[in-house]
Amino acid sequence: MSALRLISNRTSQQALSNSDYTWDYEYYEYGPVSFEGLKAHKYSIVIGFWVGLAVFVIFMFFVLTLLTKTGAPHQDNAELSEKRFHMNSFVAEFGRPLESERVFSHQMAEESQSLFHFCINEVDHMNKEEESQKGPHLEKNTHFQEVPKSSGMFEEDLHCLTKFNIPNFVNTEQNSSLGEDDLLISEPPIIL
Amino acid sequence: NISDFSLNITDCTQVVVPEEVFFTVAAAGILENLLILIAVVRNKNLHLPMYFFICSLAISDMLGSLYKTLENIFIILCKMGYLTRHGDFEKKLDDAMDSMFILSLLGSIFSLLAIAADRYITIFYALRYHNIMTLRRALVILAIIWVFCAGSSIAIALFSYEAATVIPFTILFPLMMFFILCLYVHMFLLARSHAKKIASLPSSTVHHRTNMKGAITLTIFLGVFLCCWAPFVLHILLARFCPHNPYCACYMSIFHVNGTLIMCNAIINPMIFAFRSPELRSTFKKMFYCPR
Repeated sequence: MSALRLISNRTSQQALSNSDYTWDYEYYEYGPVSFEGLKAHKYSIVIGFWVGLAVFVIFMFFVLTLLTKTGAPHQDNAELSEKRFHMNSFVAEFGRPLESERVFSHQMAEESQSLFHFCINEVDHMNKEEESQKGPHLEKNTHFQEVPKSSGMFEEDLHCLTKFNIPNFVNTEQNSSLGEDDLLISEPPIIL
Repeated sequence: NISDFSLNITDCTQVVVPEEVFFTVAAAGILENLLILIAVVRNKNLHLPMYFFICSLAISDMLGSLYKTLENIFIILCKMGYLTRHGDFEKKLDDAMDSMFILSLLGSIFSLLAIAADRYITIFYALRYHNIMTLRRALVILAIIWVFCAGSSIAIALFSYEAATVIPFTILFPLMMFFILCLYVHMFLLARSHAKKIASLPSSTVHHRTNMKGAITLTIFLGVFLCCWAPFVLHILLARFCPHNPYCACYMSIFHVNGTLIMCNAIINPMIFAFRSPELRSTFKKMFYCPR
């Protein structure tokens, strides 16, 4: 590697005398480096590089957090039905009922459960021929099947989402790139 | 004629990292990644494309740590006199080790890319995911990635003195990082819009905090990789283009620290990617705590 080989031969000459930790690789015709007349601090590249890297990472973090702050939550009762639909799809994503919606919880759970079953059946249809998919399918849908059991682990759901760890959820964006999958989420929930 | 130049008091001498630190960090990296490989092989539930890509990342991390360990052993053997510095065998061994290291770097980058693409497909093509990313396709993708990385690493190690290899290598690095960043930002935007929809429901106060968590996670993903690999990439650039410049030489004197950072990346990567999965964690618990 040129990087290794270009480490100064000079230090390997001194190394025999003072340091017992040497780089012994072949060195090519590069002569010793003169340190006379430096205008800036000799470690300026090191310092500049690390400061630049830190600034870049912090800048990236601020850009990402700014993305989170745009748009305030709005509570509009007129759009309650639309929210019920959205919540259906959201519950379909995480498989746990929202604690804040206990008023509709029974109906919601039933509808959302039916939506899961519909989704799960749909996916099962597609993967019927693949035996090996059953195992991972069950593993990925363990959240779906926990609808009746859990209560109010809302934060946990969003935490899972933001960890991108169990990301197998339905995309409800209007500009979604799903084709026939849109049919699944835009249909009214089917009681099976 | 040492007195003229090299014993200048303002010299930048090589910053030395103690051998014990090197070996400890390298051993920790190798062990951790080996554990992940064993866990994925033993648990049939983990035979998924997602975990195969994480295994690929574990293998490239292991190669990086292995390279550093072998290099240290090589140096110790040279010091003790078992190997000469100028022999042909040593040069070939050196070339082989260099290509292992570049293989590790390229493997890391492509594995991270594969993991990001896999998550992207999982989110945006959720119901067709099992058809798009079958097990066979994942293995084919991994085979292509590793063959490409092996070929490139051998080519780069053989022709490492040409500018034509250094420049593409250093351009590839930020390009891939940028692409991975775009994938994750798009996923992140989706997560944010979902959280906003949830937040629009009554009595929901958590969305700011969880989106903050998403921002932190993403920053950690990419920040760790950048901080561990970018110093070395800069070293290569400086070594190729300004080896005589005193500023560049001072930067190159911290080469061992950069190498240790790369090994730290091998330790941190499993924590960020592999140990986040509950299934993998439960496999570990079973491996260690279950009575045989």
